Order: sequence, then structure tokens, then C-alpha cells
Amino acid sequence: MNWIVQGLDREQLLDCLPAIGGAFRRLYESVFELPQVSAETLELCRLRLAQLHRSDADFALEECPVSAPQRAQLQDWPQSSLFSDEHRACLAFTEVYAMDCSAITDAQADAVKAHIGEDGLVALLQALGVFDGLIRLGLIWQASPAGVRQHG
Amino acid sequence: MGSHARVKAPAQNTGDVIRDSALGIVPATVEPYLALNAAVWDAGPLSAAEVELARLRNARHTGCVMCQAVRYDVAISDGLTEEKVQMIRGAEPDAELSARERLLVAFVDQYNLDPSGIDQGLQNALLQEFSEAELLHLSLLVAWFNGSSRCAVALGGMPDAMPRMEISIPR
Repeated sequence: MNWIVQGLDREQLLDCLPAIGGAFRRLYESVFELPQVSAETLELCRLRLAQLHRSDADFALEECPVSAPQRAQLQDWPQSSLFSDEHRACLAFTEVYAMDCSAITDAQADAVKAHIGEDGLVALLQALGVFDGLIRLGLIWQASPAGVRQHG
Repeated sequence: MGSHARVKAPAQNTGDVIRDSALGIVPATVEPYLALNAAVWDAGPLSAAEVELARLRNARHTGCVMCQAVRYDVAISDGLTEEKVQMIRGAEPDAELSARERLLVAFVDQYNLDPSGIDQGLQNALLQEFSEAELLHLSLLVAWFNGSSRCAVALGGMPDAMPRMEISIPR
């Protein structure tokens, strides 16, 4: 239960300030439509961020379909054969981004660019920004996400 | 931190700092990005000086040299002084800050360091000082600036130091 406006979920809290919250939601939704990086790759990165933040609610969401085995093995993706080289480059980048964005190495950025290009790297960073932001908002507000399809 | 820029900015020169930056190579997000940035400054109940204090405190966490060097002119016009900015630069906010400013800093720190760990004491203090709309505005502006600041850092090419720069809100 959130502590700011009782009874509202995360998306309803965003809607309390429609000019800002609506703009945030439009940017969030727009990243899944970008041609530079696939929605599946972005969803895997979003789910990995949810794991790193220990947000079970965000991990339970499904913004884009990914297979049940991929979900199950996401935490141990380096040892799994279910993830493509593009997935691996983006997941490695996401993990460092989540911990300390200044610690991202040129090699990690180059690995992402090798698969999705420079514009893909920018698109990935913009997506990670809104994914990380929405997860942190839910955590600090203590508000569950809503308004998106639940996984499985 | 990457010593060189990892992405080339577009060749265009529109005079807009966002469109002409590396972000301009993903045109589909430029307009939503600019709209959100403008809304954070224009459409919330917090003053421009408070928005800027929160933005600068956030930039300290992300380590974005450029974000820390910038001062938005609307915040200066609103009365934000450089003396005040220096008060939020330390690990612990300066004792000269008002109670409201210290709470603002505490929220930004909590968001960055441990968003799920906000305790009842800080919640109650924030609710006593800020309205619901102000708390939502503060939350959203920190989320926005945190993401954009992390993006700037991750794109590489950040210098070790930059002079203070006063700029207008890109629109």
C-alpha cells in the first residue's frame, strides 16, 4: 500500500499529475516500438532490472512476451544457452548500468553496438532509464504496478 | 567512465541541445523526451529552485559532470543561489539548509541509494512538509533526471571537470 495517496496503484499515482506522469508513460511505451532494438531484448533487460532491484511485482509483469524458460533462466543468463549474443551483450550492459553507470566499459558498449549499432545503444539507454525509473518509483512509493498485462 | 564518446551526434545543427546531441539519432524518442523534460519544469507544483536542487543532488549521485555544471536559468530567476547549491554538494547536506530542503535532499538520496528502504520516519516527515502533488512531482522529476543523467554518463566522453554553465530548458 503506497504511503502518498492511499489506495492507488503505481500507474494511478502517475495519473495524479497527468502532464508529467502521462509524458513519462508515453516515453515508456514508445521505447517498445523503437526499430533500433527489439521489444524482446528490451523486455529481458527490464526483467533483469526488476530482479536486480528485487521487485517481484515488476518481474511478474509482461510488457512483451518472452518464453517461460528464458524467464526462469534469466538470473543465470551467462550459463544459459537460451539467450542470443545480442541478448547477452545487452544484459551485461544492463547489469552494470543498474549498479554504476560510470563503470560501464568501452568493451561493454562496443559489444552492444556490434549487435544493434550506435542508435541501438542510445535506444537501449533511453529504455533502461524509464524502466529503472518506473521500478524505483514503485519501490519508493510502495505502490504495486497495474494497468499492464500480468505474466502467466 | 568512458573517456571518449561512444556515439556520434547527428550531423545536423538545429541549435537545440537535445536534437543535436547523441539522442538525436533516435528520432522517435526525441519529442517524448523533450515533452517530459518540459513538463517536469513547467507542470508541477514545486518551484524551479526546488526542481533544480533535486536535479543537482541527483547529479551528484550519478556522477554526471555535465549535469552538475549546468544551471537552469529558470531556477536562478526563481532565486536559487550558488551558495545554496554548494550546500547540497557534500555527502551530508549542510545544516544551513531549511528543513524542507533537507527533506528534499533526503528523498533524492533514498531514491538513489535504497528506494525500497524508505522508512516510516522519512515518509511521515515528507508527508508533513510536502503536499501529495509535491511529493509526486519530486518523485517524477528525480526519476526523469536520474535516467537522463545515467544516459549521459553511459554515453561516455564526460570530461573530468566543466565550468558552470547557465542554460535554458530545451524545448
